[in-house]
Amino acid sequence: VLDMANEDDAAPRTLDEARDLWRHSDLATQDLAANLCEQLRLILEPTVATKLRGDYKTGKRLNMKRIIPYIASQFRKDKIWLRRTKPSKRQHQIMIAVDDSKSMSESKSVELAFHSIALVAKALTQLESGSLSVVRFGEDTKVVHPFNRPFTPESGAHVFQWFDFQQTKTDIQKMCSQTLKLFNEVKADADDLWQLQIILSDGVCEDHATVQRLVRRAREDKIMLVFVVIDGINSNESILDMSQVQYVPDANGNMQLKVERYLDTFPFEFYVVVHNINELPEMLSLILRQFFSEIAGM
Amino acid sequence: MSESQEQIKIRFITRDEDETIHVSENPLYVPVSLKRYGLSEIVNHLIGHDSPIPFDFLINGTLLKTSLEEYLKSRELSTEAFLTLEYSRAVLPPDFLASF
Ligand SMILES: [Mg+2]
Repeated sequence: VLDMANEDDAAPRTLDEARDLWRHSDLATQDLAANLCEQLRLILEPTVATKLRGDYKTGKRLNMKRIIPYIASQFRKDKIWLRRTKPSKRQHQIMIAVDDSKSMSESKSVELAFHSIALVAKALTQLESGSLSVVRFGEDTKVVHPFNRPFTPESGAHVFQWFDFQQTKTDIQKMCSQTLKLFNEVKADADDLWQLQIILSDGVCEDHATVQRLVRRAREDKIMLVFVVIDGINSNESILDMSQVQYVPDANGNMQLKVERYLDTFPFEFYVVVHNINELPEMLSLILRQFFSEIAGM
Repeated sequence: MSESQEQIKIRFITRDEDETIHVSENPLYVPVSLKRYGLSEIVNHLIGHDSPIPFDFLINGTLLKTSLEEYLKSRELSTEAFLTLEYSRAVLPPDFLASF
């Protein structure tokens, strides 16, 4: 379903240029990536004490549920013991979806976006427990790094080739619906697979109601969406101060003007606003912890 | 709500000396289908005036005579742009003002 970036496709940036950009972002995020990796390890890896489980012929404690069948089977069904087993390492599939629209360059969020891609990609690669994909979106949605390929520094440069932040639309709705399909397609033996999408964008998008429905569907499919709002550092405006004008029908069906805080209708439940690359590890782990604690309580 | 769902980020500024008609310069996300009347309505809403004042709008020094959408099209701009709209009290014939 999803458009894949092929080598022969004309990427908007030359590989040399992209390599320079990657080197710059790589340097700028070295310590931060190690820090984020440690925090992610704590969040993503199972921390619950080892449990007694399983059906074994020998073990630590009897599994009471197996006793009756054991006797009834003339002592043939003798896997009646529980053992302490190591928790299995969770497998992750993490997708970074990055806003390639023109508003990103208008709001001077480009450098922060590149640094964020580098930071998150490197931290996840160091985790070594899952696969990583990068998608760009704007008017179109394109996979610029697929799940089935390891992420190397050269991959970083190839990914950067695909971003010039000139797309004239920010179709978050299309991005969500297409990437949800992709997540569902690659979902292997579902149980122990965690699918997470980290969206990096300036957060300016239309049609919050429709996007919210997609976000809910993702949640039902156990795909986690976390939105990192990149708030331009050099500009004197912020998404936190932005309002939205809407027209809602009153009791008589007449359209009434309503001005509300933009973020009040923001469709993503789990989001953070980041102004500086140094804030990202802390913010991202904060929101992921919140996410996982809520999931655990479900 | 309107024919087009598209929205754009704008900011209002004014050079009017009357501070009671000044509004915040924080960004606003508005439908691109808006024309002068709708924009005036928003500024009046933000000012909180009882009797609405009709305003004219300038973008980069040019008087806005169409919808924002048509303006963007004529300038080959997209909704990814961030427009600054300068408003001033409308200079209009009195009979037109009465019907505003
Ligand atoms: Mg945009």
